[in-house]
Amino acid sequence: MESLYLLIPIALVFCVVAIKLLLWAISSGQYDDLDKEAWRILADDNVRKKPSVPDKDEPS
Amino acid sequence: MELEGELRPMCCPGCSAVARMIAGSGLESFYRQRTAFSQRPDEHTTAAAHFAIYDDPQLASTFCESDAQGLQHAAILVGGITCAACTWLIEQALTSTPGVERAQVNLGRSRLDVTFDPEQLRISDMFSRLDQLGYRPLPFEESTRREQARREYSQDLRRLGVAGLGMMQVGMFAIALHAGDIQGMDARYESLLRWVSLPVAAFVVVYSARPFFTAAWRHLRVGALVMDLPVALAIGLALLASAWATLRGTGQVYFDSVVMFTFFLLLGRFVEKRVRERAEPNWQNFQRQLPDAVKVKRGDQWSSVPRIAVREGDELLVRSGEMVPIDARISSGSSSIREDAFTGESLPRAVCGGDVIYAGTLNLEGVLQARALGGVHNSRLATLQNLVDSPLVEKPQLVRLADRVASWFVAGMLLVASLTAVWWYLQAPGQAFWVVLSVLVISCPCALALATPAALSGAAGALQRNGVLVRGENSLESLTRCTHLIFDKTGTLTRGRLALARVSVLETGSGEADVRSICATLQHHSSHPIAGAFAHDIADNGMTDIRQLPGAGMEGRHGNAVYRMGNAAFCRELAPAFPDAPDEDLIWVALCRDTTPLAWLGLADEVRPEAAAVVSAAKQQGLTVELLTGDSSGTGPTLARELDIAKCSSGQSPEDKLAHISSLQARGAIVCMVGDGVNDGPVLRRADASFAVAGASDLARAQADFILLGGNLHAILHTFALARRCRRIIKQNIGWALIYNVCAIPLAAMGMVPPWIAAIGMSTSSLLVVGNSLRLTRASATKD
Repeated sequence: MESLYLLIPIALVFCVVAIKLLLWAISSGQYDDLDKEAWRILADDNVRKKPSVPDKDEPS
Repeated sequence: MELEGELRPMCCPGCSAVARMIAGSGLESFYRQRTAFSQRPDEHTTAAAHFAIYDDPQLASTFCESDAQGLQHAAILVGGITCAACTWLIEQALTSTPGVERAQVNLGRSRLDVTFDPEQLRISDMFSRLDQLGYRPLPFEESTRREQARREYSQDLRRLGVAGLGMMQVGMFAIALHAGDIQGMDARYESLLRWVSLPVAAFVVVYSARPFFTAAWRHLRVGALVMDLPVALAIGLALLASAWATLRGTGQVYFDSVVMFTFFLLLGRFVEKRVRERAEPNWQNFQRQLPDAVKVKRGDQWSSVPRIAVREGDELLVRSGEMVPIDARISSGSSSIREDAFTGESLPRAVCGGDVIYAGTLNLEGVLQARALGGVHNSRLATLQNLVDSPLVEKPQLVRLADRVASWFVAGMLLVASLTAVWWYLQAPGQAFWVVLSVLVISCPCALALATPAALSGAAGALQRNGVLVRGENSLESLTRCTHLIFDKTGTLTRGRLALARVSVLETGSGEADVRSICATLQHHSSHPIAGAFAHDIADNGMTDIRQLPGAGMEGRHGNAVYRMGNAAFCRELAPAFPDAPDEDLIWVALCRDTTPLAWLGLADEVRPEAAAVVSAAKQQGLTVELLTGDSSGTGPTLARELDIAKCSSGQSPEDKLAHISSLQARGAIVCMVGDGVNDGPVLRRADASFAVAGASDLARAQADFILLGGNLHAILHTFALARRCRRIIKQNIGWALIYNVCAIPLAAMGMVPPWIAAIGMSTSSLLVVGNSLRLTRASATKD
């Protein structure tokens, strides 16, 4: 049980990192258009892309 | 392929299918909006000096307008309005300021309209007053409105995201703590878990739950009690008490409840707000659609002047295809004017010298010279717009189920808490604090506060997938109590465009196809709405010298033969023997070749194929169906007979329509209106619930509670059905929340509820409410 003293702070660090990442993603505009993402695969040829959204087409 | 009410050519069936799919789910406006955003630095200077720039007359004139009495009308965009109570607050605060004549806030558009005396009050003072109230004022402009919405959206998302991550973290610790409560746990581990929960929960409250505190405080300062107050109290007290318990190492902690409560409430509000914001059209000021520059005769010269500078008696020039900028009387020229926006009539009106033309209508044919009848603010269009914005057309407030319950609930909760405090103070003063606290935490109106937004956003989501956007806050609830369903005619029950209904060929030897081909050739050169009826016929190309004669018709030459198509008088100039039109209630157009009458073409506004089925289904559900149209021709009653609608009022001006609905409402009816045109704007706003059909004008969309995206009227019935289910769900939710509280509060007051039961009870009751609301979305998804 002593390991809790190490593991819980580590969990907190992860939590802080996750929050930082989320805030960064929001401020970089990745969540500006939540509905768009699902449709983008259908529309990438004939629709202009928003210039300020960083390209995040991950190979998934 | 029709996109946003505009016909667009599509290159192939594949593209057309994709575009239809995108349009069908409401994404079309989405793409249009994306490019308009731009980054803007954060401004935190709230000093009055910052607002002084708006005193500059040049800048002020962009959002202020003065009238004859020397008063200024300012349109201000106000950020931070969350509910109807905020609009009340702003209006009250401003009207009590000296110099302010009138202040009115539009909740849906976050817009504040102020009439004030510039002698007594500077614009900058008004702005600082708003700033002191805790709102963010800006001059009302299209781009700033969107920018602000975007900033609020991303702020909401941040708060929600942080609350979500915090909830997972605190929840993890809480499970360990609760498990420890049951099976026993070493005190040092318990204290460790409490100590790590504290900063996470505190951060979530400070960062994410701030809107509840600011809203509660803002209203409390002016003596208004809102739902945010018990919410803020519960969150604040539970956090403080848990922190105290952590420091002292005794008592109970409620970190998980605090964070979970915050997250669920933020989620409910975020989803609800987003669903409504998506349906927000870009319309805000009809005047922006009018041409800004007007050709005005100054001396002997035509010069372009800004529209605001046009004065009564100025001589204007309106060319063909232009929108009339200002109400005016024609001094020379003739043309036809399309004014379906005002009258709902599908055919343009032929005008000549002496006739009055109205701002916002479209000059189709000839060049007109006209004399202005007054400034922009006196135009009929401005009157209509003011009518829409005036409180006269405000919806009658049906008291919301949740609000009714909430006020009783708050009173009851405070009573129980104080009784408990007194009782325990007399019995066991040492425990009194903890018992009262647990009463407050357990009675925290989480499930109650979630009951309505969760169900409403679930229903709105389900409707959106079926092509209906929900804008109105309270409209789903009103819909369930509806007694009257009132339709507009042109563009609502009909398609709003003319189609060929009957061809009566007069010359033996020519067939219908020949006649149509001649018509198509002539009409390809016309801007008249009749031309649309022939757009799909194949034109025969041998015709030359085709020209349009305003107010009469089309003329063309094929070899030596002269063809004419238009009204009877126009054709009879060539063919005196032209017979009278058949006796049928259609719009008849004559066609002749030299002296030979060729055909009568009967045109009609095409009725939507599903209209009859929708009307009869609505009647079966016990609704009184009426037809209310601005068209004064005989087509209104004919259509009503065809669709078996008992009551039809035709030739109604927007004011008449409004009066009709208000008188119905005064007699206790709850009215649902379906419309599309600019002239329907005021009634759509006034009706208890309203629908704007696909392709409706921006003004109508901006006022309607529901916007149909597809062209099918069946969606109306679907919305009715879903609204009923939504109301049932809200009732179940509230019922559950109350049962939970009724059971839990007495136990807590007796000091018998340990925190783990409180946390589980509260979370379960919230989850039940959310899960119950989600049934709305799931059931409708499987049905499709």
